[in-house]
Amino acid sequence: MDFELTQEQKDIQKAAREFIQGEYDKEKILEWELTHTFPKEVWKKACKLGFIGIHFPEEYGGQGYGITENILVVEEFCRKDSGVGIAVTLADFSSEVILRFGTQEQKKKYLIPVTRGEFISGGAYTEPDHGSDITLMATTAIKQGDSFVINGTKTFITNGTLADFFIVLCQTDPHAKPPYRGQCTIIVEKGAKGLEATEITAKMGIRMTSTAELSFSDVRVPLTNLLGEENKGFYQVLEFFDESRVEIAAQALGIAQGAFDRALDYARQREQFGKKLVDFQITQHKLADMATKIETARLLTYKAAWNYDQKRIDPKLTSMAKMFAGKVAVEVADEAIQIFGGYGYITEYEVERFYRDAKITEIYEGTKEIQKNTIASALIGKLK
Amino acid sequence: MNIIVCIKRVPDTADADIFIDKSGKDIEKSGLAFDLNEWDSYAIEEAIQLKEKLGGTVTVLSAGGEDSNESLRKCLAMGADDAFRLTDPAFAGADGFATARILAEAIRKRPFDLILTGTQAEDDGYGQVGVVMAEMLGVPHVSIVNRIEVQEKKIKAHRELEGGLEEVVEVDLPALLTIQTGINEPRYVSIMGIRKVAKKEIKAFGASDLNLKPEEVGLSGSDIQLDKVFLPLVGEGAEMLEGKPEEIAQKVFDILRDKGGVA
Amino acid sequence: MKEIIVVAEHRRGELRDVTWEMLSRGRELSEGLGGELSVALLGKDVKNLAEALKPKANRVLLIEDNRLEFYNSETYEKVLTQLITERKPMLTMIGHTATGMDFAPSLAAHLKIPLATDCIGIDAKDETFALTRQIYGGKINAAVSFLKKGPQYMVTLRAGAFPVIEKEPLSGEIVSVPSLLTDEGLARRFLEYMEAAAGEVDITQADILIAIGRGIKDAENIPLVKELADSMGGVLACSRPVVDKKWLPKGCQVGTSGKTVKPKIYVAIGISGAFQHVAGMKGAGTIIAINKDPKAPIFGVAQYGIVADLFKIVPVIKEKIKQLKKS
Ligand SMILES: Cc1cc2nc3c(=O)[nH]c(=O)nc-3n(C[C@H](O)[C@H](O)[C@H](O)COP(=O)(O)OP(=O)(O)OC[C@H]3O[C@@H](n4cnc5c(N)ncnc54)[C@H](O)[C@@H]3O)c2cc1C
Ligand SMILES: Cc1cc2nc3c(=O)[nH]c(=O)nc-3n(C[C@H](O)[C@H](O)[C@H](O)COP(=O)(O)OP(=O)(O)OC[C@H]3O[C@@H](n4cnc5c(N)ncnc54)[C@H](O)[C@@H]3O)c2cc1C
Ligand SMILES: Cc1cc2nc3c(=O)[nH]c(=O)nc-3n(C[C@H](O)[C@H](O)[C@H](O)COP(=O)(O)OP(=O)(O)OC[C@H]3O[C@@H](n4cnc5c(N)ncnc54)[C@H](O)[C@@H]3O)c2cc1C
Repeated sequence: MDFELTQEQKDIQKAAREFIQGEYDKEKILEWELTHTFPKEVWKKACKLGFIGIHFPEEYGGQGYGITENILVVEEFCRKDSGVGIAVTLADFSSEVILRFGTQEQKKKYLIPVTRGEFISGGAYTEPDHGSDITLMATTAIKQGDSFVINGTKTFITNGTLADFFIVLCQTDPHAKPPYRGQCTIIVEKGAKGLEATEITAKMGIRMTSTAELSFSDVRVPLTNLLGEENKGFYQVLEFFDESRVEIAAQALGIAQGAFDRALDYARQREQFGKKLVDFQITQHKLADMATKIETARLLTYKAAWNYDQKRIDPKLTSMAKMFAGKVAVEVADEAIQIFGGYGYITEYEVERFYRDAKITEIYEGTKEIQKNTIASALIGKLK
Repeated sequence: MNIIVCIKRVPDTADADIFIDKSGKDIEKSGLAFDLNEWDSYAIEEAIQLKEKLGGTVTVLSAGGEDSNESLRKCLAMGADDAFRLTDPAFAGADGFATARILAEAIRKRPFDLILTGTQAEDDGYGQVGVVMAEMLGVPHVSIVNRIEVQEKKIKAHRELEGGLEEVVEVDLPALLTIQTGINEPRYVSIMGIRKVAKKEIKAFGASDLNLKPEEVGLSGSDIQLDKVFLPLVGEGAEMLEGKPEEIAQKVFDILRDKGGVA
Repeated sequence: MKEIIVVAEHRRGELRDVTWEMLSRGRELSEGLGGELSVALLGKDVKNLAEALKPKANRVLLIEDNRLEFYNSETYEKVLTQLITERKPMLTMIGHTATGMDFAPSLAAHLKIPLATDCIGIDAKDETFALTRQIYGGKINAAVSFLKKGPQYMVTLRAGAFPVIEKEPLSGEIVSVPSLLTDEGLARRFLEYMEAAAGEVDITQADILIAIGRGIKDAENIPLVKELADSMGGVLACSRPVVDKKWLPKGCQVGTSGKTVKPKIYVAIGISGAFQHVAGMKGAGTIIAINKDPKAPIFGVAQYGIVADLFKIVPVIKEKIKQLKKS
């Protein structure tokens, strides 16, 4: 057993830390948060330095590392700033589906621009009436000649108004039994006729990230936009979740650590009743609990990533990491606000934003309840 | 152009709480973040830019413990070609002079056109290693350089003097320059850079490899020694304004008005 | 006889302040040691400077040569090597300035004389000297001693660290020393002086300066302090990193490599107080420092200190001033 990161991993972690520290600019960030602006320049620079798509093979513009290295970057970015971190590291969201199941042409066409900061990607699974349960999709893709014709609505789609292409989960065979055996993932590019993205403007957190509703009205895409085998879409998405949930766990971990860093710093400086906050044993215990939770989340998350990089798929472990890290992020950010007192409630002190940003990690990529279902079914030995 | 850059890994103390350690001769270093000396990050960037423009190689060296490899790898990842480290238990306690000797001996056998060091180190701040080394190697030097123009077999360098004045000098190559901050914008380390250097070995050399005798290095090879450290009398003159922000602001206003600051 | 030699520093026809500071400390040391104080002056047509130095030393060692018109580390090293080899002074004092930093280390190494750089304190002790230096950006002081025993020593002294104490004038004699420089080619040649491009506003003329340091974190935060400056009718100035990062023009930099300022009021915000910065502003009438680190050296030179996060306190002060100015 070896709990040390490799030298290379430490270098990557440090490079990520120095980069995001160098780009961190509180005034700008608060402005972006207020105006719901995606930090485009930071994203472009991150691409240029190889942070985005670090886990793609070289031939597709990546750096050939595993998801362990990817989550180290995600953690560092989110630690310095939850909003910028999430926005930037989700710029390649779902492109892994192409990486795992696409043809060589598809990978070249979509992945290389993603790593170069030319393309932003999106994954469209959730529908207004199908969120946790995606076994049946109302969005249909019907073959007509050499095209799929897509109709339906997807909602809460990250990068919805920014993405250059989406991976869309569609029902291709509405009569399949069970229905999830009749689903496909299909690439739809921005600007396709009949595709409309509407920003969902007001939301609790991750405000530098676009969240949108996508409506498909007779959107035609060539049959060659199909990803992988026909009717395997549902399975592809679940496989993708095994990877992506570790990334969300890393977001949560970074957010928790970032909130903790700020709380510790503040507690060292703030004085009440003639003492520093850190001199109160209550505060000391809070900090000890927070740090312990974070370390536990980190162990689970790193193990899940490592396990995936060993080419072992363990949905239980992935779900444990995501569920636990998400929970820790929310709890730690909450406690951080408490340590800041009234100041914690004020935007300028950032922890309230970390708290709002933390919450999403318990919802997207499968709610914590769904993660528990996954863990339980693995334990009990019953698939769903 | 073959360039050698000397770098040092130092603790970042500007923003940190620092405490004197048990020996009373240094500060408690555990818990401090370490990084490349700020001046050296400009020196390595300058070297890489020169290489990118003119071709040649950049070799980095550092005298220090195994931890220094981190900074050396950073320089490699930024674009240096080669790095090595000088280390030996006998080097302990070296002052600026003894450090310069170690570095000079390591450089002596290598071909070079240019040596770059930082103007000073953030921690000890002797501001002497580069210039001493030039003397030991018998090459001309220019210190506190904030602009470089390479010409045929010589360099035109701007030295920063006091009061916004600069001195422009010309120096024949090979030469040593000590680099001032602000001369360029040090780049971020890229993942491509890290990949490139991951497999690279950083060789370490000790006193005997450099043909240095024990009495020439470390504390025994030094001019000076540090007897003890202590906190400067802080706030000697300063009256501390305390209270709620509002109250502090009121006090500031009163002072300003007294001293003719607000009309 | 124990001799102390101070190497005079001058530029463009004027002796620099550090020379007087070294002479003042040098005189105390030499009197304590029962020795003599000499000042070495290298240059071309600098008799007037030699005259000015006469009352401050027992002897002015004047080395004049056309080749010494502009400072050059190589000519300085040659001339001073000869001088020190002949006179064997117990102590040679040089300013820790852009000039001294450029030649003292190589001169000492060449002569094999132990050197301590950037000293802020020096006392004679048992045939040698006890020194005080600052480390970690001035956050810590260090007591330092020479390890190698002399009989000769060399130090560079921080500019501004030693007060000039007025004493009975001495009647120094001017001793001309031949330079022995030849026309043999130099590897380093002086070309010209250049003024760094001046900023829009001349900070040296301002009565009120609000100076920011690296603590401001980013250019985007500057308006915060600019508003404070505006409310006070003051002008923005800064420490060096702010210029290095191109957040403010070079003309705004205070310190040894920037401007020396003497405003009525100087507010230092997020500036640690490195000596190169302090050298440029310690002549201000009133200094107020804002820093979140209670151990920041800036509090050692300020008359008033505020330990606070600048982002928290600056807006409050600004509002207060606006409000009170109205009433
Ligand atoms: C900001 C944001 C960004 C998003 N980005 C994307 C994206 O890029 N792509 C995408 O496809 N989707 C995205 N989503 C959608 C997200 O994945 C879904 O919201 C999530 O999966 C939950 O689905 P739902 O909202 O329909 O909730 P529901 O499924 O209606 O769940 C409501 C509640 O019931 C619980 N619940 C449901 N089923 C069970 C069960 N079997 N057992 C126990 N509890 C259950 C849930 O845990 C939850 O607490 C995003 C959402 C948000 C808010
Ligand atoms: C193995 C080892 C152990 C040491 N242990 C101690 C100790 O226990 N106590 C102690 O007081 N001092 C110790 N030192 C010496 C000390 O850390 C400084 O390196 C030395 O005193 C030089 O002073 P400075 O950094 O202030 O030099 P400056 O003259 O201010 O530095 C200017 C430039 O010189 C170059 N430079 C300086 N140091 C190095 C270096 N180490 N490697 C490469 N380039 C460099 C850099 O380019 C730097 O920008 C040790 C040094 C070594 C090598
Ligand atoms: C040859 C030479 C010439 C030089 N010339 C000059 C010169 O002319 N002028 C000059 O200034 N420097 C000069 N320097 C550089 C000098 O050594 C220092 O590096 C520099 O002055 C440090 O600037 P600073 O105080 O802004 O930054 P730092 O030393 O990094 O200090 C930043 C300070 O801000 C405080 N801070 C951080 N955040 C906050 C916050 N939120 N609220 C309140 N406080 C905060 C920190 O506690 C810290 O004390 C020169 C150096 C050399 C070698």
